Amino acid sequence: MSNESGDRTRSDEFSFFQDQRVRSGFYQVLAVAVVGWLVWYLISNTAHNLEARGMSTGFDFMQVSAGFDIEFKLLEYAPGVGTYADVFKIGVLNTLLISFFAIILSTVLGFFIGVLRLSNNWLVSKVSLAFVEVFRNVPLLIQIVFWYIGVFSLMPAVKKTLDLSFGAERLLLNNRGLYMAWPVPAEGFWMTVLAFGVAIVAALLIRHRALKRQAASGEQSNVLLLSLALLIILPLSVFFATGSPLAWDIPVLEGFNFVGGATVAPAFLALLASLSIYHAAQIAEAVRAGILSVNVGQGEAAKSIGLKPGRVMSLVVIPQAMPSIVPPLISNWMNLVKNSSLAIAVGYPDIVSLFMQTSLNQVGHAVEIVGLTMVFYMLVSLIISALLNIYNKRVQLVER
Amino acid sequence: MAIVTLEKTTARPAPLSETTALGWLRINLFSSVFNTVLTVISLYVVYLTVSSVFTWGYLDATFIADNRRECYKNSLTGACWAGIINWFNNMFYGRYPDAETWGVNSAAVILILWMAPLWMSRVRGKILIAVSVVVFYPFLAGYLFAGGAKSLLMNIMVTGAIVAFALNLLNTLAGLFTDTSIKEALIKVLGQSTAAEGTQRKVLFALLVLCFAVVFTLQSNWLVTEVSWTRWGGLFLTFVISGIAMALSLPLGIVLALGRRSELPAVRVLSTGFIEIFRSVPLITVLFMATTMFPLFMPDGFFLNNLVQVIIAVTLFNACYMAEIVRAGLQAIPKGQFEGAHTIGLGYWGTMGLIIMPQALKHMIPNIVGNLIGLLKDTTLVSIIGLFDVLGMLRSISKDVPWLGLHKEPLVFGGLLFFVICFSMSKYSRHLEFKLSAGSRR
Repeated sequence: MSNESGDRTRSDEFSFFQDQRVRSGFYQVLAVAVVGWLVWYLISNTAHNLEARGMSTGFDFMQVSAGFDIEFKLLEYAPGVGTYADVFKIGVLNTLLISFFAIILSTVLGFFIGVLRLSNNWLVSKVSLAFVEVFRNVPLLIQIVFWYIGVFSLMPAVKKTLDLSFGAERLLLNNRGLYMAWPVPAEGFWMTVLAFGVAIVAALLIRHRALKRQAASGEQSNVLLLSLALLIILPLSVFFATGSPLAWDIPVLEGFNFVGGATVAPAFLALLASLSIYHAAQIAEAVRAGILSVNVGQGEAAKSIGLKPGRVMSLVVIPQAMPSIVPPLISNWMNLVKNSSLAIAVGYPDIVSLFMQTSLNQVGHAVEIVGLTMVFYMLVSLIISALLNIYNKRVQLVER
Repeated sequence: MAIVTLEKTTARPAPLSETTALGWLRINLFSSVFNTVLTVISLYVVYLTVSSVFTWGYLDATFIADNRRECYKNSLTGACWAGIINWFNNMFYGRYPDAETWGVNSAAVILILWMAPLWMSRVRGKILIAVSVVVFYPFLAGYLFAGGAKSLLMNIMVTGAIVAFALNLLNTLAGLFTDTSIKEALIKVLGQSTAAEGTQRKVLFALLVLCFAVVFTLQSNWLVTEVSWTRWGGLFLTFVISGIAMALSLPLGIVLALGRRSELPAVRVLSTGFIEIFRSVPLITVLFMATTMFPLFMPDGFFLNNLVQVIIAVTLFNACYMAEIVRAGLQAIPKGQFEGAHTIGLGYWGTMGLIIMPQALKHMIPNIVGNLIGLLKDTTLVSIIGLFDVLGMLRSISKDVPWLGLHKEPLVFGGLLFFVICFSMSKYSRHLEFKLSAGSRR
């Protein structure tokens, strides 16, 4: 230190730049300035490039009619008539459709495999371990392409169609996809639907009553059979009483292909199979880890008060395992939705292949299209993580 | 009164059910009727799978043929591995010229030799080894891959890499045979072990400069044939993309994670936004963004090739996942560590660099390996946007005239390849997790 500063006070010497607030303010301004400059630089470059190439901006192109056809769609659409906005909607719906079915299948399969992994049967647990390791360690893209090219495209030709419904011709599989008989509701079918709704409400009421009774007196009553009977018999009897108002649209071989019923393309089947299996392997691990995270003493204590193995699981172990199973489960669902974008490899028209590839190649507008697609995925992620947060809050409340 | 025997009672043999194979079978496979049924069902499933795969892949398979028709002549139902064997080189090197593949191979060997000492307990100076790999190796490997004339920077870095690699080898030998670091070994060889520390340092520095100068002049005449990146492909390209992305995304991820945990609101919001945006979209959309939007971002006359675009996209994407791993590692550090570091007068960077990060990295290593596995698997997506990585090469086999329509075998082979790599990595990571948790395990 120099001599001059000898008589200065400490606070003078550490005045300005040592002040916490000044420093934090400085760093923040610096960070914002750097990021702001970068964004401005990229935007100005983009604007310049777009102008130089004579490209227009804005979302007007969404109202222009698209010239290409779409194989698989849930909405009315015709090439040359439907707009790019329709294409976007169809892509979104297709992504949500495949994700929905794959989430259900993978969760069911994942729980099943995860429980098998913990079986005390050595062979069963090793077989499920092999399943998990094989499907976890092979890239999803290879699995998708394999299911598409190696399995569903190698199905018999139309002439030798496989009948999965044992000769009833209601469920047919060939190399062009899966053909299903499709129910067509006739006049008066709403009464059956109504009866089903009533049955659900009644079953819930019965369950509520039974729980209340158990809480008050400790007596347990088996409501499962009663509810099941109610759920099946009531709608069925109404259905037959109103004269079976339901027709079946059955696929029929006409010329070179089947017509009628509902068709599922091989690409959809391949995507469904691979997404479900890949994520089932991941979910199985989450389920296993969750069940193992429950203290062994819990299961032993439950056994010692005389609960049967099934009830030990369902009343003691699983409820405590759920808080550690659900978060990875939900993040797996989120990954599944994102991974469904690999549909592009097999030509299933999801949002990425329809909108980000085909539409972008047709109309340009890269910035708008990429932005819209990403916003869609971000929204889905936001919704799913909101679900997770709600669940976590509930679990935390229960805990303390 | 007490009954005392003077001899020790010999232990009774364990019950048969505990020691014999039959007893093991009974306990583990046939303990109840239900278990027996399960065993029989699983045995049947295993039999079906193994026998069909074995018949298809080995018994009925064709290994030597010139085209697919010959395979069919041999067997209609078996696999046609001849196509894979025929394309072996392409699968690993893509369209890299055959005469130049030694460059790729030697880069791989150098990397292995360079990194191997990290796993040897007798070798000293592991941190320096790791740093030298990250700083110098990419330049040497890059030059071996791409070749061509060297710029001044390239000359310096290649020289640095060669010197560092040679020193590393010597250091490994010194560690293995004399259990010292190269520094001590050299001092001993030069007969300076009694000299003052300053003299020792000067001698070593002079030696290093001399080495550098000699290698610099020698290597300036060294010229590798230029190979355009468009000819890179196969597993080699997969490793290049995932390797660079991994090396870059770790530091970027650390910065993002520190930003997200920062006390400065503006920094926190910016990092969190960046991380969450990239984590909520699929990789394929980021890749499409890279190929369609990056050209628009660039200033006039500046052009990024496809490979660089892809690497940037994969790095940005992976860095966000890495940031979350780092954040989880940081969260596992008790608050007392931060406070302790502050008490002894360390500032932010001192606290992070000397106290927190070294501890947090230990927690993170298994997750980082997991991320590397995921990255390697995700790299297959670049085949969708037209790069010929290993999956791209495998899928082009079916378009090659002699092997037209050979789809299944390449995919099965690719699956097997990835399985071997990823499975062994995940096993290793689990072993590492076990080893690193030794301190907290009782």
